[in-house]
Amino acid sequence: MSACGAEDQVFVCRCEEITREEIAEAIADGATTVRGVKVRTEAGMGLCQGRGCRKIIQQMLSQAGVRPAAEVLPSTTRTPVRTAKIAEFINEEDD
Amino acid sequence: MTRTADVAIVGGGVNGCSIAYRLAKAGKKVVLCEKGDFASGATGSCDQMVILQSKNPGIHLKLALDSAELFQTLAQELDYDIEYFKHGGMITIENEMEMNVMTDFVAKQKKIGLEVDIISREDAAKRQRGLGEHLLGCTYSPQDGHVNPFKLNMGFAQAAKKAGAELLIDAEVTDFKMAGGKVVGIKTAKGDVDAETVIISAGAWSPLLGQKLGLKLPIKPRRGQIIVSQPCAPYIVGDILSAQYIVAKYHPETLLNAKDRGIQLGVGLAISQTARGGILIGATREFVDYDVSNTREGIREILKNAARLMPGLKNLNIIRIMGGVRPYTPDGLPLVGYVKGMDGLFMAAGHEGDGIALSAITGKIVAGLICEGKAYTDVSALDPNRFELFAK
Repeated sequence: MSACGAEDQVFVCRCEEITREEIAEAIADGATTVRGVKVRTEAGMGLCQGRGCRKIIQQMLSQAGVRPAAEVLPSTTRTPVRTAKIAEFINEEDD
Repeated sequence: MTRTADVAIVGGGVNGCSIAYRLAKAGKKVVLCEKGDFASGATGSCDQMVILQSKNPGIHLKLALDSAELFQTLAQELDYDIEYFKHGGMITIENEMEMNVMTDFVAKQKKIGLEVDIISREDAAKRQRGLGEHLLGCTYSPQDGHVNPFKLNMGFAQAAKKAGAELLIDAEVTDFKMAGGKVVGIKTAKGDVDAETVIISAGAWSPLLGQKLGLKLPIKPRRGQIIVSQPCAPYIVGDILSAQYIVAKYHPETLLNAKDRGIQLGVGLAISQTARGGILIGATREFVDYDVSNTREGIREILKNAARLMPGLKNLNIIRIMGGVRPYTPDGLPLVGYVKGMDGLFMAAGHEGDGIALSAITGKIVAGLICEGKAYTDVSALDPNRFELFAK
Protein backbone atom coordinates (compact mmCIF):
# COMPACT_ATOMS: atom_id res chain seq x y z
CA MET A 1 0.00 0.00 0.00
CA SER A 2 1.11 3.54 -0.73
CA ALA A 3 1.86 5.94 2.07
CA CYS A 4 -1.24 7.66 3.33
CA GLY A 5 -1.90 10.52 0.94
CA ALA A 6 -4.84 12.69 -0.03
CA GLU A 7 -5.88 10.15 -2.64
CA ASP A 8 -6.30 7.47 0.02
CA GLN A 9 -8.80 9.65 1.88
CA VAL A 10 -11.14 9.98 -1.11
CA PHE A 11 -14.59 8.52 -0.44
CA VAL A 12 -15.13 5.58 -2.76
CA CYS A 13 -18.53 4.84 -1.22
CA ARG A 14 -20.02 8.27 -0.70
CA CYS A 15 -23.21 7.08 0.98
CA GLU A 16 -21.42 5.28 3.81
CA GLU A 17 -18.27 7.43 3.61
CA ILE A 18 -15.81 4.60 3.03
CA THR A 19 -12.38 5.74 1.83
CA ARG A 20 -10.06 4.29 -0.76
CA GLU A 21 -7.70 3.42 2.08
CA GLU A 22 -10.38 1.40 3.88
CA ILE A 23 -11.19 -0.52 0.67
CA ALA A 24 -7.47 -1.25 0.18
CA GLU A 25 -7.27 -2.51 3.77
CA ALA A 26 -10.22 -4.85 3.17
CA ILE A 27 -8.48 -6.26 0.09
CA ALA A 28 -5.27 -6.67 2.08
CA ASP A 29 -7.32 -8.48 4.74
CA GLY A 30 -8.32 -11.09 2.16
CA ALA A 31 -11.43 -9.81 0.39
CA THR A 32 -11.53 -11.20 -3.16
CA THR A 33 -15.01 -10.03 -4.16
CA VAL A 34 -17.08 -6.86 -4.07
CA ARG A 35 -19.24 -8.58 -1.48
CA GLY A 36 -16.15 -9.41 0.58
CA VAL A 37 -15.26 -5.71 0.61
CA LYS A 38 -18.83 -4.89 1.63
CA VAL A 39 -18.74 -7.30 4.57
CA ARG A 40 -15.47 -5.79 5.83
CA THR A 41 -16.25 -2.09 5.25
CA GLU A 42 -20.03 -1.70 4.61
CA ALA A 43 -19.19 -0.01 1.30
CA GLY A 44 -22.18 -0.25 -1.02
CA MET A 45 -24.79 -0.60 1.72
CA GLY A 46 -26.06 2.96 1.71
CA LEU A 47 -28.70 4.95 -0.11
CA CYS A 48 -27.46 4.22 -3.65
CA GLN A 49 -26.73 0.54 -2.93
CA GLY A 50 -23.32 0.49 -4.56
CA ARG A 51 -24.30 2.12 -7.83
CA GLY A 52 -21.48 4.60 -7.47
CA CYS A 53 -18.76 2.51 -5.84
CA ARG A 54 -19.11 -1.02 -7.13
CA LYS A 55 -17.21 -0.35 -10.39
CA ILE A 56 -14.38 1.34 -8.52
CA ILE A 57 -14.17 -1.53 -6.05
CA GLN A 58 -14.18 -4.07 -8.90
CA GLN A 59 -11.33 -2.13 -10.48
CA MET A 60 -9.35 -2.02 -7.23
CA LEU A 61 -9.82 -5.78 -6.76
CA SER A 62 -8.61 -6.58 -10.26
CA GLN A 63 -5.66 -4.19 -9.91
CA ALA A 64 -4.71 -5.93 -6.68
CA GLY A 65 -4.61 -9.14 -8.71
CA VAL A 66 -6.79 -11.15 -6.31
CA ARG A 67 -8.35 -12.86 -9.30
CA PRO A 68 -8.54 -12.27 -13.08
CA ALA A 69 -10.42 -9.08 -13.95
CA ALA A 70 -13.19 -10.98 -15.76
CA GLU A 71 -13.89 -12.96 -12.58
CA VAL A 72 -14.31 -9.93 -10.33
CA LEU A 73 -18.09 -9.87 -10.35
CA PRO A 74 -20.40 -7.22 -8.96
CA SER A 75 -22.23 -8.01 -5.71
CA THR A 76 -25.85 -9.13 -5.83
CA THR A 77 -28.26 -6.42 -6.88
CA ARG A 78 -31.79 -6.64 -5.58
CA THR A 79 -35.11 -4.86 -5.57
CA PRO A 80 -35.80 -1.92 -5.49
CA VAL A 81 -33.82 -0.38 -8.32
CA ARG A 82 -34.56 3.07 -6.92
CA THR A 83 -35.71 4.04 -3.47
CA ALA A 84 -39.45 3.60 -3.19
CA LYS A 85 -42.01 4.51 -0.59
CA ILE A 86 -43.39 1.64 1.52
CA ALA A 87 -46.97 2.77 0.82
CA GLU A 88 -46.39 2.09 -2.89
CA PHE A 89 -45.68 -1.58 -2.22
CA ILE A 90 -48.63 -1.97 0.14
CA ASN A 91 -51.06 -0.45 -2.33
CA GLU A 92 -49.72 -2.37 -5.30
CA GLU A 93 -52.50 -4.97 -5.33
CA ASP A 94 -55.14 -2.25 -5.62
CA ASP A 95 -53.84 -1.15 -9.02
CA MET B 1 -0.58 -28.60 0.47
CA THR B 2 -1.87 -30.62 3.39
CA ARG B 3 -2.40 -28.83 6.69
CA THR B 4 -2.71 -30.58 10.02
CA ALA B 5 -4.86 -29.32 12.85
CA ASP B 6 -6.50 -30.42 16.06
CA VAL B 7 -9.83 -29.15 14.76
CA ALA B 8 -11.05 -28.35 11.24
CA ILE B 9 -14.15 -26.16 11.08
CA VAL B 10 -16.40 -26.08 8.02
CA GLY B 11 -18.22 -22.77 7.67
CA GLY B 12 -17.14 -19.15 8.27
CA GLY B 13 -20.38 -17.67 9.46
CA VAL B 14 -20.86 -16.15 12.85
CA ASN B 15 -21.00 -19.53 14.60
CA GLY B 16 -18.04 -21.11 12.79
CA CYS B 17 -15.90 -18.07 13.61
CA SER B 18 -17.10 -17.93 17.22
CA ILE B 19 -16.10 -21.60 17.62
CA ALA B 20 -12.74 -20.99 15.91
CA TYR B 21 -12.04 -18.15 18.33
CA ARG B 22 -12.88 -20.10 21.50
CA LEU B 23 -10.98 -23.20 20.43
CA ALA B 24 -7.88 -21.26 19.37
CA LYS B 25 -7.97 -19.34 22.64
CA ALA B 26 -8.12 -22.66 24.50
CA GLY B 27 -4.89 -23.68 22.77
CA LYS B 28 -6.21 -25.87 19.96
CA LYS B 29 -4.69 -25.72 16.51
CA VAL B 30 -7.62 -24.66 14.34
CA VAL B 31 -8.13 -24.43 10.57
CA LEU B 32 -11.45 -22.99 9.38
CA CYS B 33 -12.59 -23.47 5.78
CA GLU B 34 -15.27 -21.27 4.23
CA LYS B 35 -16.75 -21.93 0.79
CA GLY B 36 -17.19 -18.24 -0.09
CA ASP B 37 -16.33 -15.41 2.28
CA PHE B 38 -17.27 -14.59 5.86
CA ALA B 39 -20.95 -13.81 6.51
CA SER B 40 -22.06 -15.33 3.20
CA GLY B 41 -25.04 -17.30 4.48
CA ALA B 42 -27.63 -16.50 7.13
CA THR B 43 -25.19 -14.20 8.97
CA GLY B 44 -25.14 -11.86 5.98
CA SER B 45 -28.87 -11.76 5.34
CA CYS B 46 -30.43 -11.53 8.77
CA ASP B 47 -31.85 -8.89 11.04
CA GLN B 48 -29.49 -7.98 13.85
CA MET B 49 -31.27 -9.03 16.98
CA VAL B 50 -29.87 -10.42 20.17
CA ILE B 51 -33.39 -10.75 21.46
CA LEU B 52 -34.24 -12.89 24.45
CA GLN B 53 -38.00 -12.49 24.55
CA SER B 54 -38.53 -14.59 21.44
CA LYS B 55 -36.87 -17.62 23.00
CA ASN B 56 -38.86 -20.57 24.24
CA PRO B 57 -38.80 -20.77 28.07
CA GLY B 58 -36.43 -23.65 28.83
CA ILE B 59 -32.92 -24.47 27.62
CA HIS B 60 -33.47 -22.19 24.59
CA LEU B 61 -34.00 -19.08 26.74
CA LYS B 62 -31.37 -20.15 29.26
CA LEU B 63 -28.70 -20.34 26.54
CA ALA B 64 -29.82 -17.02 25.05
CA LEU B 65 -29.53 -15.36 28.49
CA ASP B 66 -26.03 -16.77 28.93
CA SER B 67 -25.11 -15.67 25.42
CA ALA B 68 -26.41 -12.15 26.10
CA GLU B 69 -24.23 -12.06 29.21
CA LEU B 70 -21.19 -12.71 27.01
CA PHE B 71 -22.29 -9.96 24.59
CA GLN B 72 -22.00 -7.35 27.37
CA THR B 73 -18.20 -7.52 27.23
CA LEU B 74 -17.62 -9.12 23.85
CA ALA B 75 -16.41 -5.96 22.09
CA GLN B 76 -13.64 -5.51 24.67
CA GLU B 77 -12.81 -9.19 24.64
CA LEU B 78 -12.50 -9.33 20.84
CA ASP B 79 -10.99 -5.84 20.70
CA TYR B 80 -13.45 -5.10 17.89
CA ASP B 81 -16.42 -2.74 17.77
CA ILE B 82 -19.30 -5.13 17.10
CA GLU B 83 -21.92 -2.36 17.57
CA TYR B 84 -23.83 -4.19 20.31
CA PHE B 85 -26.59 -2.05 21.81
CA LYS B 86 -28.99 -3.06 24.55
CA HIS B 87 -31.99 -0.77 24.18
CA GLY B 88 -34.65 -3.27 25.28
CA GLY B 89 -37.35 -4.86 23.20
CA MET B 90 -41.10 -5.16 22.84
CA ILE B 91 -43.53 -7.69 21.41
CA THR B 92 -46.75 -6.20 20.09
CA ILE B 93 -50.03 -7.85 21.07
CA GLU B 94 -53.05 -7.35 18.81
CA ASN B 95 -55.81 -9.64 20.05
CA GLU B 96 -57.05 -11.80 22.94
CA MET B 97 -55.57 -15.01 21.56
CA GLU B 98 -52.11 -13.41 21.39
CA MET B 99 -52.60 -11.90 24.85
CA ASN B 100 -53.31 -15.37 26.25
CA VAL B 101 -50.29 -16.92 24.55
CA MET B 102 -48.01 -14.07 25.65
CA THR B 103 -49.29 -14.02 29.25
CA ASP B 104 -48.37 -17.67 29.58
CA PHE B 105 -45.07 -17.20 27.68
CA VAL B 106 -43.99 -14.24 29.84
CA ALA B 107 -44.82 -16.04 33.10
CA LYS B 108 -42.65 -18.99 32.07
CA GLN B 109 -39.81 -16.73 30.88
CA LYS B 110 -39.76 -14.91 34.21
CA LYS B 111 -39.19 -18.20 36.00
CA ILE B 112 -36.08 -18.82 33.85
CA GLY B 113 -34.76 -15.41 34.89
CA LEU B 114 -35.71 -13.00 32.09
CA GLU B 115 -36.82 -9.52 33.13
CA VAL B 116 -40.04 -9.15 31.16
CA ASP B 117 -43.54 -7.78 31.69
CA ILE B 118 -46.71 -7.07 29.79
CA ILE B 119 -47.30 -3.33 29.60
CA SER B 120 -50.34 -1.34 28.45
CA ARG B 121 -50.49 0.28 25.03
CA GLU B 122 -50.22 3.62 26.79
CA ASP B 123 -46.97 2.65 28.51
CA ALA B 124 -45.65 1.09 25.30
CA ALA B 125 -46.33 4.37 23.49
CA LYS B 126 -44.09 6.16 25.99
CA ARG B 127 -41.21 3.95 24.88
CA GLN B 128 -41.93 3.84 21.14
CA ARG B 129 -43.87 6.32 19.03
CA GLY B 130 -45.89 5.26 16.00
CA LEU B 131 -47.44 2.06 17.37
CA GLY B 132 -50.84 1.05 15.98
CA GLU B 133 -53.85 2.41 17.90
CA HIS B 134 -55.50 -1.02 17.98
CA LEU B 135 -52.79 -2.78 20.03
CA LEU B 136 -53.93 -4.29 23.33
CA GLY B 137 -50.46 -3.91 24.79
CA CYS B 138 -46.89 -5.09 24.47
CA THR B 139 -44.40 -7.14 26.36
CA TYR B 140 -41.27 -5.28 27.36
CA SER B 141 -37.83 -6.51 28.41
CA PRO B 142 -34.85 -4.25 29.11
CA GLN B 143 -32.48 -7.11 28.27
CA ASP B 144 -33.04 -7.27 24.51
CA GLY B 145 -30.45 -5.82 22.17
CA HIS B 146 -28.91 -5.99 18.75
CA VAL B 147 -25.51 -6.25 17.11
CA ASN B 148 -24.00 -5.63 13.68
CA PRO B 149 -23.82 -9.17 12.21
CA PHE B 150 -21.01 -8.36 9.74
CA LYS B 151 -18.90 -6.81 12.47
CA LEU B 152 -19.67 -9.64 14.88
CA ASN B 153 -18.58 -12.17 12.25
CA MET B 154 -15.39 -10.22 11.41
CA GLY B 155 -14.71 -9.58 15.09
CA PHE B 156 -14.75 -13.30 15.86
CA ALA B 157 -12.66 -13.98 12.73
CA GLN B 158 -9.98 -11.40 13.58
CA ALA B 159 -9.80 -12.53 17.19
CA ALA B 160 -9.53 -16.17 16.07
CA LYS B 161 -6.62 -15.23 13.78
CA LYS B 162 -4.90 -13.35 16.61
CA ALA B 163 -5.29 -16.44 18.81
CA GLY B 164 -3.50 -18.51 16.17
CA ALA B 165 -6.32 -20.01 14.07
CA GLU B 166 -5.92 -20.21 10.31
CA LEU B 167 -9.02 -19.08 8.43
CA LEU B 168 -9.32 -19.94 4.73
CA ILE B 169 -11.88 -18.34 2.42
CA ASP B 170 -12.74 -19.51 -1.10
CA ALA B 171 -12.00 -22.93 0.39
CA GLU B 172 -15.03 -25.06 -0.41
CA VAL B 173 -15.04 -28.49 1.22
CA THR B 174 -15.29 -31.03 -1.59
CA ASP B 175 -15.09 -34.19 0.51
CA PHE B 176 -14.22 -35.73 3.86
CA LYS B 177 -11.19 -37.90 4.58
CA MET B 178 -12.02 -41.20 6.23
CA ALA B 179 -9.94 -43.91 7.90
CA GLY B 180 -11.45 -47.00 9.49
CA GLY B 181 -14.92 -45.46 9.66
CA LYS B 182 -13.56 -42.33 11.33
CA VAL B 183 -13.56 -38.82 9.93
CA VAL B 184 -9.91 -37.74 9.86
CA GLY B 185 -9.96 -34.59 7.76
CA ILE B 186 -11.40 -32.62 4.87
CA LYS B 187 -10.49 -31.99 1.25
CA THR B 188 -10.94 -28.39 0.18
CA ALA B 189 -10.38 -26.12 -2.80
CA LYS B 190 -7.29 -24.89 -0.96
CA GLY B 191 -5.84 -28.29 -0.09
CA ASP B 192 -6.43 -31.00 2.49
CA VAL B 193 -6.72 -30.50 6.22
CA ASP B 194 -6.01 -33.51 8.44
CA ALA B 195 -7.68 -33.10 11.80
CA GLU B 196 -8.61 -35.04 14.91
CA THR B 197 -12.04 -33.44 14.93
CA VAL B 198 -14.07 -31.98 12.06
CA ILE B 199 -16.87 -29.55 12.96
CA ILE B 200 -19.71 -28.94 10.54
CA SER B 201 -20.98 -25.42 11.24
CA ALA B 202 -22.26 -24.60 7.78
CA GLY B 203 -25.75 -23.53 8.83
CA ALA B 204 -28.40 -24.29 6.22
CA TRP B 205 -25.78 -25.89 3.97
CA SER B 206 -24.81 -28.49 6.58
CA PRO B 207 -27.13 -31.23 5.24
CA LEU B 208 -25.37 -31.05 1.86
CA LEU B 209 -22.09 -31.78 3.63
CA GLY B 210 -23.77 -34.49 5.69
CA GLN B 211 -24.86 -36.23 2.49
CA LYS B 212 -21.20 -36.76 1.59
CA LEU B 213 -20.92 -38.78 4.82
CA GLY B 214 -24.17 -40.68 4.34
CA LEU B 215 -25.88 -38.58 7.01
CA LYS B 216 -29.42 -37.32 6.83
CA LEU B 217 -29.25 -34.18 8.95
CA PRO B 218 -32.67 -32.84 9.99
CA ILE B 219 -31.79 -29.29 8.93
CA LYS B 220 -33.75 -27.54 6.19
CA PRO B 221 -33.16 -24.16 4.56
CA ARG B 222 -35.91 -21.67 5.40
CA ARG B 223 -36.00 -18.36 3.60
CA GLY B 224 -36.36 -15.03 5.30
CA GLN B 225 -36.95 -11.85 3.32
CA ILE B 226 -36.11 -8.60 5.09
CA ILE B 227 -36.61 -5.02 3.96
CA VAL B 228 -34.10 -2.22 4.57
CA SER B 229 -35.15 1.43 4.73
CA GLN B 230 -33.06 4.42 3.83
CA PRO B 231 -30.94 5.70 6.72
CA CYS B 232 -33.05 7.97 8.91
CA ALA B 233 -32.92 9.74 12.25
CA PRO B 234 -33.36 7.53 15.33
CA TYR B 235 -36.96 6.26 15.25
CA ILE B 236 -37.06 2.62 16.36
CA VAL B 237 -35.87 2.71 19.96
CA GLY B 238 -35.32 -0.95 20.75
CA ASP B 239 -36.16 -4.16 18.94
CA ILE B 240 -39.77 -4.90 18.12
CA LEU B 241 -41.41 -8.21 17.34
CA SER B 242 -45.06 -9.09 16.95
CA ALA B 243 -46.78 -11.81 18.94
CA GLN B 244 -47.67 -13.32 15.55
CA TYR B 245 -44.04 -14.39 15.33
CA ILE B 246 -44.17 -16.15 18.71
CA VAL B 247 -47.49 -17.80 17.87
CA ALA B 248 -46.21 -18.94 14.46
CA LYS B 249 -43.00 -20.27 15.94
CA TYR B 250 -44.28 -22.13 18.99
CA HIS B 251 -47.93 -22.81 18.16
CA PRO B 252 -47.86 -23.55 14.43
CA GLU B 253 -51.02 -25.64 14.81
CA THR B 254 -53.07 -22.47 15.31
CA LEU B 255 -52.11 -21.33 11.81
CA LEU B 256 -52.97 -24.49 9.93
CA ASN B 257 -56.22 -23.17 8.53
CA ALA B 258 -55.10 -19.58 8.11
CA LYS B 259 -56.41 -17.94 4.94
CA ASP B 260 -54.29 -14.80 5.22
CA ARG B 261 -51.43 -14.99 2.72
CA GLY B 262 -49.05 -13.24 5.11
CA ILE B 263 -49.64 -15.86 7.79
CA GLN B 264 -49.13 -18.64 5.24
CA LEU B 265 -45.75 -17.08 4.37
CA GLY B 266 -44.87 -17.09 8.07
CA VAL B 267 -44.74 -13.30 8.27
CA GLY B 268 -44.13 -11.95 11.74
CA LEU B 269 -42.90 -8.46 12.47
CA ALA B 270 -39.27 -8.02 13.41
CA ILE B 271 -38.11 -4.44 13.30
CA SER B 272 -35.01 -2.63 14.48
CA GLN B 273 -32.73 0.21 13.44
CA THR B 274 -29.03 -0.12 12.65
CA ALA B 275 -26.24 2.10 13.93
CA ARG B 276 -26.13 3.75 10.51
CA GLY B 277 -29.85 4.54 10.61
CA GLY B 278 -31.37 1.97 8.28
CA ILE B 279 -34.53 0.34 9.60
CA LEU B 280 -34.72 -3.44 9.12
CA ILE B 281 -38.24 -4.77 8.62
CA GLY B 282 -38.78 -8.52 8.53
CA ALA B 283 -39.56 -11.21 7.82
CA THR B 284 -40.97 -14.22 6.05
CA ARG B 285 -40.32 -17.85 7.01
CA GLU B 286 -40.69 -19.94 3.85
CA PHE B 287 -39.55 -23.39 2.78
CA VAL B 288 -38.33 -22.84 -0.79
CA ASP B 289 -35.17 -24.95 -0.79
CA TYR B 290 -32.06 -22.79 -1.37
CA ASP B 291 -33.85 -20.04 -3.33
CA VAL B 292 -32.69 -16.74 -1.79
CA SER B 293 -34.49 -14.45 -4.22
CA ASN B 294 -37.19 -11.97 -3.26
CA THR B 295 -40.86 -12.14 -4.14
CA ARG B 296 -43.28 -9.27 -4.63
CA GLU B 297 -45.82 -11.14 -2.57
CA GLY B 298 -43.37 -11.63 0.31
CA ILE B 299 -42.32 -7.98 0.28
CA ARG B 300 -45.91 -6.76 0.19
CA GLU B 301 -47.05 -9.02 3.02
CA ILE B 302 -44.13 -7.97 5.25
CA LEU B 303 -44.84 -4.31 4.63
CA LYS B 304 -48.62 -4.63 5.07
CA ASN B 305 -48.01 -6.34 8.37
CA ALA B 306 -45.45 -3.76 9.50
CA ALA B 307 -47.65 -0.80 8.50
CA ARG B 308 -50.60 -2.23 10.43
CA LEU B 309 -48.54 -2.50 13.62
CA MET B 310 -46.63 0.76 13.02
CA PRO B 311 -48.58 2.96 10.61
CA GLY B 312 -45.88 5.63 10.54
CA LEU B 313 -43.59 3.35 8.54
CA LYS B 314 -45.69 3.87 5.40
CA ASN B 315 -43.91 7.09 4.54
CA LEU B 316 -40.41 5.66 4.73
CA ASN B 317 -38.41 4.88 1.61
CA ILE B 318 -36.85 1.48 1.17
CA ILE B 319 -33.50 0.90 -0.50
CA ARG B 320 -32.95 -2.86 -0.36
CA ILE B 321 -34.59 -6.21 0.18
CA MET B 322 -32.52 -9.03 1.62
CA GLY B 323 -33.13 -12.72 1.09
CA GLY B 324 -31.36 -15.59 2.76
CA VAL B 325 -31.92 -19.05 4.17
CA ARG B 326 -31.71 -20.01 7.82
CA PRO B 327 -31.07 -23.52 9.12
CA TYR B 328 -34.41 -24.83 10.42
CA THR B 329 -34.57 -27.85 12.73
CA PRO B 330 -37.77 -29.72 13.69
CA ASP B 331 -37.54 -28.85 17.41
CA GLY B 332 -36.17 -25.34 17.05
CA LEU B 333 -32.87 -26.17 18.74
CA PRO B 334 -29.46 -26.43 17.07
CA LEU B 335 -27.43 -29.64 16.81
CA VAL B 336 -24.31 -29.27 18.94
CA GLY B 337 -22.13 -32.25 19.84
CA TYR B 338 -20.29 -35.31 18.57
CA VAL B 339 -22.08 -37.64 16.16
CA LYS B 340 -22.40 -41.14 17.61
CA GLY B 341 -21.32 -43.83 15.19
CA MET B 342 -18.97 -41.54 13.27
CA ASP B 343 -15.91 -40.73 15.35
CA GLY B 344 -14.19 -37.45 14.65
CA LEU B 345 -17.33 -35.67 13.49
CA PHE B 346 -18.89 -32.85 15.50
CA MET B 347 -22.04 -30.87 14.62
CA ALA B 348 -22.67 -27.21 15.40
CA ALA B 349 -25.49 -26.11 13.13
CA GLY B 350 -29.24 -25.55 12.96
CA HIS B 351 -29.74 -22.28 14.84
CA GLU B 352 -32.44 -21.03 12.45
CA GLY B 353 -33.28 -17.45 13.44
CA ASP B 354 -31.18 -17.51 16.60
CA GLY B 355 -27.72 -17.82 15.07
CA ILE B 356 -26.61 -14.31 15.94
CA ALA B 357 -28.06 -14.34 19.46
CA LEU B 358 -26.64 -17.76 20.29
CA SER B 359 -23.28 -17.34 18.53
CA ALA B 360 -21.36 -16.23 21.61
CA ILE B 361 -22.55 -19.13 23.74
CA THR B 362 -22.23 -21.69 20.92
CA GLY B 363 -18.47 -21.07 20.76
CA LYS B 364 -18.20 -21.53 24.50
CA ILE B 365 -20.25 -24.75 24.50
CA VAL B 366 -18.27 -26.29 21.64
CA ALA B 367 -14.92 -25.39 23.19
CA GLY B 368 -16.08 -26.94 26.48
CA LEU B 369 -17.25 -30.18 24.85
CA ILE B 370 -14.07 -30.55 22.78
CA CYS B 371 -11.43 -29.37 25.27
CA GLU B 372 -12.88 -30.58 28.56
CA GLY B 373 -15.38 -33.22 27.52
CA LYS B 374 -18.27 -31.20 28.94
CA ALA B 375 -19.94 -27.83 28.51
CA TYR B 376 -20.40 -25.27 31.30
CA THR B 377 -24.02 -26.40 31.63
CA ASP B 378 -26.16 -29.37 30.66
CA VAL B 379 -26.58 -29.19 26.88
CA SER B 380 -27.94 -32.69 26.30
CA ALA B 381 -31.01 -31.07 24.68
CA LEU B 382 -28.71 -29.99 21.82
CA ASP B 383 -27.22 -33.47 21.33
CA PRO B 384 -27.40 -34.17 17.57
CA ASN B 385 -28.08 -37.86 18.33
CA ARG B 386 -31.61 -36.96 19.47
CA PHE B 387 -32.39 -37.30 15.75
CA GLU B 388 -31.93 -40.33 13.53
CA LEU B 389 -28.86 -39.06 11.66
CA PHE B 390 -27.96 -41.99 9.46
CA ALA B 391 -29.80 -42.31 6.15
CA LYS B 392 -31.51 -45.69 5.82
